[in-house]
Amino acid sequence: MNDIYLRLSGVAMTFEGQTGADDGLIALLTRPFAKGPAKPQTYRVEALKDINLEIRHGERVGLLGLNGVGKSTLLKVMAGIYPPTAGRVQKQGHICPMFEFATGFEMNQSGWDNIRTRALLLGMSRDEIESKLQEIAEFTELGEFLSYPVRTYSSGMFIRLAFAVSTSINPEILLLDEVMGAGDVRFAEKAKKRMFEFMEQGKILVFSSHNFDLLATFCERTIWLDKGQIVADGPTSEVTATYQDLVTHY
Amino acid sequence: MPNLLNDTIQALRAWRVWMFLGVQDVKARFRRSALGPLWIVLNMAFFVVGAGLLYGVMIKQPMKILLPYLVSGFTIWGSILASLTESGWAFVGAEGYIKQFCYPKQIYLMRTLVYNFLILFVTLCSLIPVQLYFHTFYIIGWLLAIPGFLLLAIAVLAHITICAYLGVRFRDLPHAAGGILQVAFFVTPVMFPATMLKERHFDWIYRFNPFYYLLEVARYPLLEGKLPALDVYAGASIYIVLVWAIAFLVARSLDSRVVILL
Repeated sequence: MNDIYLRLSGVAMTFEGQTGADDGLIALLTRPFAKGPAKPQTYRVEALKDINLEIRHGERVGLLGLNGVGKSTLLKVMAGIYPPTAGRVQKQGHICPMFEFATGFEMNQSGWDNIRTRALLLGMSRDEIESKLQEIAEFTELGEFLSYPVRTYSSGMFIRLAFAVSTSINPEILLLDEVMGAGDVRFAEKAKKRMFEFMEQGKILVFSSHNFDLLATFCERTIWLDKGQIVADGPTSEVTATYQDLVTHY
Repeated sequence: MPNLLNDTIQALRAWRVWMFLGVQDVKARFRRSALGPLWIVLNMAFFVVGAGLLYGVMIKQPMKILLPYLVSGFTIWGSILASLTESGWAFVGAEGYIKQFCYPKQIYLMRTLVYNFLILFVTLCSLIPVQLYFHTFYIIGWLLAIPGFLLLAIAVLAHITICAYLGVRFRDLPHAAGGILQVAFFVTPVMFPATMLKERHFDWIYRFNPFYYLLEVARYPLLEGKLPALDVYAGASIYIVLVWAIAFLVARSLDSRVVILL
């Protein structure tokens, strides 16, 4: 069996685009004929700059940083969802992303079919899905609602369904983006337990969190991001201590 | 660039995923309707009776020839039309998936192809009773149509690729394409036989019309029970090469930006 790893070398992610409505087909076609220099408002955001890191088999890594410093972008680059604008992402192992529970449903299909679709897209095989279907259904506690089209669901029910499916797979590389709270009080308690078990299973775990206790429990190593760059990368206790010190003082 | 190739190969390998998604789409379309896919056949029956009677008088063709021609032509046209309009939503509609799951986005192109062709085949079933009624059903013709439908599928996939990518960048595109294709419908021998144009020396209208070849490779064997002329295959093949060249250029220039533009 190959060793599972995740390696980022010189990775940068820049978002470029235009603001305002002048970005459609008509604007593009008429631009050559426009009077005067047509200068659309452009923006350029360097979400990640020169990220170098290697995560080896068995490592659990926390991502720390304020909102908008690039934590989610980094996770999406690791998952292969964003193609980096520079540098390379090398990986060995099946990636299991867990970024959000609120999107990615077929509104007119039943809860059962949405479980199947979601599980399939997370990389489960058809046989695996059928064998886990009952267990997933029980965990959601949605009962007969699973036969209804999901457009009739409340937001809490969506989260239950997505959460139950996502945590039922056997993860190799598990990427989590601040997905902790799920559903009402009773379900949240249950979800927390299942989530912790799930996180234990991952051969590699990378997760972003603002909760220092969680980071301390799960990660030996923490990476601190600021303005798209790695500020510190080391043992969790040291990194969180410096971070807390700095953030609370300014 | 090597990413695009890698992703495409990976996407094709995940056939279980896109097959499932495509079949689910078809099922969802007919969920909770009492007649289900039978509606497609019924609608075609209404269309055939209406258009058949009217066109039969106008074009003065015997029903035996005209009705199967209309049904097959209209069905295949429907597939081409959908591949150039609806498929502009292939990526846009899968935004929730693309942004959170790791499968390469090309699986959503294949899913659209599966949906397109399932609808095409169900609709085509309405040709069988028509042909049986007129004693023009040739099983050999249906077998000989297989290469034609393969060519059609390859062309349709190129259309889907182009429209899906451009549809992310230009959200007006599916609407605009619908309008343009209405014009194309009238200059393509879908509802009227190509010979009508030829008799009036307007045969350039279909000779330079790629849709004519796409229609004919699939339709001719079904109707005549034999393979179409070689130049029909040649026309379709040339178009496929050209349209795939465009599809490749479009995909290459937009591939890395799709997620960001969504």
